[in-house]
Amino acid sequence: MESLLEFARGPLFRLTFAIMLLGLARVFILDIWGLVEAYNRAGDKSIPWRLTLTRTLEWIFPVKRMLNHRPFYSLSAFLFHVGLILVPVFLFAHIQLWQAALGVGWSALPRNWADLLTLSTIIFGLAIWAGRIGSRRARAISRKQDYLWPLMLIVPFVSGYLCVNTSLSPAVYQTLMLTHILSAEIIFVLLPFTKIAHCVLMPLSQLIMTIAWKFPARVDEDVATTLGKKGAPV
Amino acid sequence: MNRVHVTKTILWMLVGLSTAVALTRYMFGLGATTNLTDATPWGLWIGFDVMAGVALASGGFVITAIVYIMRQERFRPIVRPAVLTAFLGYVAVILSLLVDLGLPWNIWHMMIYWNPHSPLFEIGWCVMLYTSVLLLEFSPVPLESTSRWARVRSVLMKLRFPLVLLGIMLSTLHQSSLGSLVLIMPFKLHPLWYSALLPILFFISAVALGLVMVSFEGLATSWLYRRKPETDLVARLCKAAAWVLGLYLVVRLGTISAAGQWALILDGSWESFLFVFELLVMAVIPMILFAIGRVRRAVSGQWIGCSLVVLGMVLNRINTGGLTMIGATGDFYFPSWMEFAVTAGILSFMALVFLSAVEHFHIWSEQPHEREADPHASPEFSRSGEVWLGSPPVAARTRYSFAFVMALAVGVALMPGERIRSSGVSQVSAQAARGGDTLFIDGNRDGFGVAFDHPRHVSANGDKASCVLCHHMNAPLDKQSGCTTCHRRMYQMADAFQHDWHASPKGASIACVICHEEGVYRTAGSALPCDACHRDLVPPGVTIEVKSYRAPSYVDAMHDLCVSCHRRKTLELTDRPDHAQCRTCHETPLPDYLQPDMADLLRRPGYNHVVLPAVVKGSN
Amino acid sequence: MSKAILTDVTKCIGCLECVSACNAEYDLPVDVPTVWQKNDGLSAKNWTSILRQQPEGRYVRIQCRHCLEPACAAACPVGALQRTAEGAVVYDENKCLGCRYCMMACPFGIPRYDWDRALPYVRKCTLCIDRIRDGREPACIAACPEDATIFGEREDLLVLAHQRIADHPDRYIDRVWGEHEFGGTGVLYLSDVDLEFLSYRPAMDIALPKTIEAAMQSVAPAFVGMGAFMLGLNWIIKRRQKLQGGHGSEEE
Repeated sequence: MESLLEFARGPLFRLTFAIMLLGLARVFILDIWGLVEAYNRAGDKSIPWRLTLTRTLEWIFPVKRMLNHRPFYSLSAFLFHVGLILVPVFLFAHIQLWQAALGVGWSALPRNWADLLTLSTIIFGLAIWAGRIGSRRARAISRKQDYLWPLMLIVPFVSGYLCVNTSLSPAVYQTLMLTHILSAEIIFVLLPFTKIAHCVLMPLSQLIMTIAWKFPARVDEDVATTLGKKGAPV
Repeated sequence: MNRVHVTKTILWMLVGLSTAVALTRYMFGLGATTNLTDATPWGLWIGFDVMAGVALASGGFVITAIVYIMRQERFRPIVRPAVLTAFLGYVAVILSLLVDLGLPWNIWHMMIYWNPHSPLFEIGWCVMLYTSVLLLEFSPVPLESTSRWARVRSVLMKLRFPLVLLGIMLSTLHQSSLGSLVLIMPFKLHPLWYSALLPILFFISAVALGLVMVSFEGLATSWLYRRKPETDLVARLCKAAAWVLGLYLVVRLGTISAAGQWALILDGSWESFLFVFELLVMAVIPMILFAIGRVRRAVSGQWIGCSLVVLGMVLNRINTGGLTMIGATGDFYFPSWMEFAVTAGILSFMALVFLSAVEHFHIWSEQPHEREADPHASPEFSRSGEVWLGSPPVAARTRYSFAFVMALAVGVALMPGERIRSSGVSQVSAQAARGGDTLFIDGNRDGFGVAFDHPRHVSANGDKASCVLCHHMNAPLDKQSGCTTCHRRMYQMADAFQHDWHASPKGASIACVICHEEGVYRTAGSALPCDACHRDLVPPGVTIEVKSYRAPSYVDAMHDLCVSCHRRKTLELTDRPDHAQCRTCHETPLPDYLQPDMADLLRRPGYNHVVLPAVVKGSN
Repeated sequence: MSKAILTDVTKCIGCLECVSACNAEYDLPVDVPTVWQKNDGLSAKNWTSILRQQPEGRYVRIQCRHCLEPACAAACPVGALQRTAEGAVVYDENKCLGCRYCMMACPFGIPRYDWDRALPYVRKCTLCIDRIRDGREPACIAACPEDATIFGEREDLLVLAHQRIADHPDRYIDRVWGEHEFGGTGVLYLSDVDLEFLSYRPAMDIALPKTIEAAMQSVAPAFVGMGAFMLGLNWIIKRRQKLQGGHGSEEE
């Protein structure tokens, strides 16, 4: 068990963390690349900085929607993200690990804050999952991974919370710790290749949305050519 | 996926893996990536990448000599691929050097600090100049696609003959000087490979290999892109190669005769077999194959003959560059996986550049149809048929970047971060002392140790009360546990604390919070010290502090234990000023009262160099 | 003037004081004790060490031999290794590019490399060149309690060595190791046992830089010769093609 934990903490962590970082860098670069191509094709050469910024901010802080459209769901989503981002990065134990491995550390969340945020992440994660299941309109536009992700993301939070806050026998503790590490590592691997990649693509997506929808001049001919219907009446 | 896609995906993966290894090499040094040692300071990266790499890139100067100097116009269609391969080959050599050199950012020092006596200095200069010449020779090809550079291109075309001539002259120098490189090592290199004519042998074999490499490359790319192979041209090249290989054989065997070394070939050593094998593969068999017209003109015959020459020549360069020095150095070296990964990665990168150049520029007489370069090809879909993969260039970059990133991540995970090949001493486990009342303490069992007079130490330190002075670890039911119980390794710290056993319900079954305070990250450092529970762990009268569960290495423990006590005694006993010096234990003659069986033990064959020679000999 | 070291194997007691003195002088980190090592004990952290010869069990101190015609200096492409007027072969880490050709070329296998470091240099004995220039003897010599290894002018030491052999013909083998080996070295050995094991193969009396001299001298003639040969060949073939009436096109 100890050796399995060591493996999960050592080489496996390095592998999955590297896949996450490199994979995110890859999708980021590919997106920029596609963006540049779209921009070169676009008829309108202005870059909508302002629009992108406001839309991104609207997505991050959904105040407007919170007030008039599914307020509880929007608030849950926001609070879920707060814990999701803060706890893994600023937990004292995680910082200790980084300190031991790389020699760099940063200030940590106070213990009770970390516990509170962990619990809030678990609760709001379940809430947005329920919100998705409960709404017919949300179900209509959901894919399989949309149901899976909220549950998937709270697994390391639950196991981590239990590890830290309960007195357990070593065998149970080690099993929970292994669950904690392995579930986080599965998330690392899947992260760049699924919708969670929005953690780095967030502002880009808004920019692409606005730029890519400006069709270049005479794009209709290219479409017709590709579809093999050149000259056919529309 | 077609052949090109599969090939390129694999090449990108190799590039990714080698990028991770290169990062390791620059972060942690050569010791963390290679199996090189002080006895074998040159390995795969010099033997294969540089020595064989330069030889494999000789096609450029051979073909330009044939077409521009000897004016054989029929070979003109293969000039461009040959020059491009040569250029990429030299770039690969330079990239390999940037990985292999200890201080690669000083590579330009060859330009300002001159040592004209050194063959390596000359090779360095020639490689720098020849790579530039090859770039100038090739650059008209990419320039012809734009009209903006027409003037530059026409100047380069005018300069082509002098460039070709300069390229041939430079190649002659450094291809031969690679042979001079090992001339300074007559004390190391096996005599079957060492010869004063090595520079000439290297040059002749480079010419033969140049002819073969151009053929080989034509065969490989025609398979990859399903092109029609240039069978007729290749057959002519193979015929020329047969003549050159014959010349090589005559000179090589001539040097053996002149040195009177025929006996060495038949002496049955592994080097003699290697020599025969090498000569058969690189020269004899291909020469015979190429001499037969029917074989030479068949594609399969060309494949076999060319592959043999390439493999044999690479083997020859590796043999000369270090493999046959093992007999003298006694240091067996086999490259680590990381060395292979870097070599493969650099070659893959160059292959990718070559394929990309072939798809975008006019290298062959007919350009291969490659859909990735064609923006109007019909769309590709994922295997399930649901997701559009994007236009062919987009699909391609998605696929290749995925291969690259995954391989790079695997490489990062496999980084060792420390010396991968130790000099063989750190892992020696310690062994308990043997003997009667006089102990022979020989931790690493090399027959080299200290005869420890146990009774005298007991009596001098206060009889039974003194046991704990040395035997501080009183394991259950054992009052005199050996030092090796905890200090298990000769030179490395060892775990003396079994965490799993303490935590397991079947063992001590102690909950975490008993040792690890709550709310603090659980490390060995933040846990309770051992003697908080094991209160009789350190018996009274002993000055050892047990705080960590890491036991020092055997050597450190023994030296600390003995030396610290001896130091104290030096101050107490004024008549023994040298009591704390190494010689006291490691060199004193055996005392008279030592039992005869101990002396017998020390005289056994395995212990012939025990450290107490004088009296053992006399005491019998 | 050329300084040298004379090591008398029959006098050495293997106390390793020279090794500790060397380590202290150059502030080298502590390595695994020499006697416990499986190789010859030299490393980037140990520039001198004491070998235990077998089967007689003599102690033989090894370090850089400071050859009169050093192969490492001839091999180094940037001249980072030089033999000084005092007779020491010294290394300039500011020139080095890390090709390790010196390590390949040394017949005694002396230069060591910082394999563990990301910024590696070649490491070996310097003959304490700075101490010599201050008028002092090398640290290892000063530390030797038995005068088994002594320092002085090479000529004087050679005379002394032959004198010792003449005085005690029963004690020594009639040979001063280092007098002629590989063109002569700056470290001389007197011994009562065979010391051939100190070099890779039985030592030769040729200076190693001579082995590449011929090849390096023919570089310039080969360069010009190949150029002239190619031009001549081109002229002949062009002329023959013209006479035959066919002509290769200059341009594709």
